[in-house]
Amino acid sequence: MLEQKEHKFDILGRDYDIKNIGKVTGEEKYSCDINIPGQLHAVILRSPYAHAEIKEVDYTEAEKMGAICIGPQDVPDVIYNERIVSIPAKTYRDRTVFPKDKVRHVGEAIAACAAETEGKAFEALKKIKVIWGEKWEPLVTLDDAMSPDAPAIYDNVFLGEERVKISNNLACDRNIDVGDIEEGFKEADIIADETFDVQRVYHMQLETKSAVCQPEADGGITLWTTTQGIHNVRILLGQIFSIPLSRINVKRITLGGSFGSSIQMNSVTPICVALALKARKPVKLVTTREEDMYDHSSYPLKTRLKVGVKKDGTLTAAHCQVWLEIGGHNIQAYPYLGCVAGWFASLYRWKNLRYEGKAYYSNKGPACARRGYGSPQVNFPVENMIDILAEKLGMDPIEFRRKNYVGKGEEFWGQGPTVRSLIRSCGVEEMLDRGAELIEWDKKSELKNKNGKIKRGIGVARGFHTSGTGGPKAGEVIDYSGATVKINEDGSVDVITALMDHGGGTWEAGAKVAAEVLKVPFEKVSIDNGVDTRTTVFDVNTHATRGVYCGCGAIKYVAEKVKEMLLNYAATLFEDRPENLVLALNEELGQGIIYPIDLPEKYKTIAEIADHARINSVGTFVYTSTLRQKNCPPCFITYFTEVEVNTETGEISVPRVVMMGDSGTIINPELWKGQILGAYALGIGLGKLEDIPYNKESGKLNCNGLITDFKVPITTDMPHTDNITVEHAHTYEPTGPFGAKGIGEAALSAVASSFGNAVYDAVGIRFHKLPITPEVMLKALQDKNRIGGKNKDAH
Amino acid sequence: MRKIPIKFTINGQQKEALVQSNELLINLLRDELYLTGTKYGCGIGECGACTVFVDDELVLACLTLAVTVDGKEITTIEGLAKGKELHPMQVSFLKNAAVQCGFCTPGMIMTAISLMKENPDPSEEEIREYMRGNICRCTGYTQIIKAIKEYAHNMKA
Repeated sequence: MLEQKEHKFDILGRDYDIKNIGKVTGEEKYSCDINIPGQLHAVILRSPYAHAEIKEVDYTEAEKMGAICIGPQDVPDVIYNERIVSIPAKTYRDRTVFPKDKVRHVGEAIAACAAETEGKAFEALKKIKVIWGEKWEPLVTLDDAMSPDAPAIYDNVFLGEERVKISNNLACDRNIDVGDIEEGFKEADIIADETFDVQRVYHMQLETKSAVCQPEADGGITLWTTTQGIHNVRILLGQIFSIPLSRINVKRITLGGSFGSSIQMNSVTPICVALALKARKPVKLVTTREEDMYDHSSYPLKTRLKVGVKKDGTLTAAHCQVWLEIGGHNIQAYPYLGCVAGWFASLYRWKNLRYEGKAYYSNKGPACARRGYGSPQVNFPVENMIDILAEKLGMDPIEFRRKNYVGKGEEFWGQGPTVRSLIRSCGVEEMLDRGAELIEWDKKSELKNKNGKIKRGIGVARGFHTSGTGGPKAGEVIDYSGATVKINEDGSVDVITALMDHGGGTWEAGAKVAAEVLKVPFEKVSIDNGVDTRTTVFDVNTHATRGVYCGCGAIKYVAEKVKEMLLNYAATLFEDRPENLVLALNEELGQGIIYPIDLPEKYKTIAEIADHARINSVGTFVYTSTLRQKNCPPCFITYFTEVEVNTETGEISVPRVVMMGDSGTIINPELWKGQILGAYALGIGLGKLEDIPYNKESGKLNCNGLITDFKVPITTDMPHTDNITVEHAHTYEPTGPFGAKGIGEAALSAVASSFGNAVYDAVGIRFHKLPITPEVMLKALQDKNRIGGKNKDAH
Repeated sequence: MRKIPIKFTINGQQKEALVQSNELLINLLRDELYLTGTKYGCGIGECGACTVFVDDELVLACLTLAVTVDGKEITTIEGLAKGKELHPMQVSFLKNAAVQCGFCTPGMIMTAISLMKENPDPSEEEIREYMRGNICRCTGYTQIIKAIKEYAHNMKA
């Protein structure tokens, strides 16, 4: 049954092509495009060692060349975590701006120089002398890091205000029990126990991290930097440099992609600030691609999953153990382990579950959030397991999913065990049915080419993400957004918000929501840049697929207050009660109008009313507030991938895909599709291309910072445009702005899983490790032939 | 280091500059002429974000020495629109939601225009093949390919 009610909108659901003009003309400004007269250019000295003691950093000779330099001795002793989205009591802190005692990964920043040109800064950088002390062998794999003989990367760190000891490089862990799994497994007729590895990948957002900092006369700073949250950057800089927040102004500026890599304040930001404060001049710092690759990546996840099921397909118990290897700093392993538990727990009705998660430090670049925040990593084991169990039960994989998914009315662990809410809108059934119809699931066996070198198969997988991190009770994750909405004197509207747009259309959605509430043409609403921490109220961060549900939720809440002010004033002009007035969009006039009910010819435009308020010194219709959403509704997705495996070359191509998404009301139709299409490419990268291993001896990246060696999907990796179908479920989220929920991270959750299940369908090999490169495929095919072509597992 | 005087035309305007022998075109464009629409994505010719035209030929500004543009005509993304009127390829990108974060977009549009000059009626496979040097991490390329197809279709009509 379709849940969507009849909702008619004036502006939502239409496509406009005006918001991105600056991006096609080259006029859009990103942090790296900011230039301030008299600015110095900065470069960073980075560690060539993975784990080594720093005895001394001497830049005397570099400063003699006229450069401004900073080293560990110059940065504050403040130990911080660059991500402050979680509450302080649940935030691990282990770093300073530069390490004071030792480096923990190759590429870790240890000093920096600023000079008139980048060239001069590099010349000066070469003169910096570093005296190294003891060096330890790099720990570059989970097994290395977990080994009892492994050198300690940390002795102790802080959790909130408390100092905690680190043993065996265990950064943190989380254990959760629901019900009784021993009893649950006793009830099961079939038990499967499998291990999976999803690799570490690099975000490879097109814009590398950068910052431009201008020191101000009052001791404050103005800053342009790549970030998903200007307020958190300001708060952190205030803590590190002891500057009142009123004197730190972080400008909101367009991001050249992020995918989670700027949830935390990026490592270059405080370095740029420290240089600018010392130089008392503006400083610009733009990192190279290689530097960026050492700076952030996703968390790799190893999962052991044991699941019990009855013959009729009812799940009885699941035991999920995960291990993370997190790199040299613990940015967010603790909340990540909680979220992985949540994604796992909310996919299917396990009935009884046990979750055990452990995170280990290693000598690699620090892992951080990446689109999906652990969901693609745990979705791969779960969705493979569901297919494994369906096969054992002799049940259709779609039927098995339908029987066990967590849906409407059930509890959803939005962002881990502390953020729980009830599901109110759910398009899972519709997406399974419609997707199966579009991909012709019932004719799947006809695809099989038993004897040729090309083997075909189709796989299904489903996933979701939360829309934000709100729950009935405030949990471990801070979640609220603010906005100012102002009707200008000509009837146009300014929306002033710290909400970020990563490219997915969040700002366009925000402008549409304000336009829909105030019945103003979309073109007359500005949500543009030129705002900053000084002019906006707090917004926790644009992460967790919260842009539309939480950020635009706040815009709607505030716009409704402004609408009330407008109608109250209009009532005085019409000499009527506000509830007897109608606010409507008049497309012919290109204006919002107000008229007494049933008397549309007596209208006044919003422009007339706003200007009347100005001329009569009444005031401006403006409101500022914040909103905390008390739910985090899941945006579900269901994908059907068809693959072709060339058994001679080992190459896997994707000739056809059907992608279904459930976002409630769709605000930006084409950009919404764009989120799904873009995520699909990222997922195919995860499935068959991307990996970012480090060398065991040197601790350096094997790809040497080269994109072509890291390998990302290019134009030829995607299916023909005619063979890609994207559709949405017809749902309405009652707690969302105009019925909307998110999509961004959900879109990636099940891509690699549907790909892996399709590969199994094609060649009968269950791959437990990603990526499935041609080399991996060929080896697995050879192994399979050796055992007489039976279905098998590849680890 | 001795600086070398060069003269060139940039987006229709004549300019002179003093450049070092090892200076790259991308730095001349971004840091001296403040044409920041040409983007740095890798610095070594892997991503295509810095694609510009030099004498109608597609080049990567991060792999081109500034001295080599002496006497030549350069077109960057800023030079495509005629006043307020966008180039039809820019319009097609906007109409097809082929733009997300926008960081790859300038290079994509320059490469797509070059393709159209060489092959006004390309098949989808030919478009994908020609565009393979331009990396986009947001769109999954589909809407970009559609934008280019639509442009070709409109030009034919």
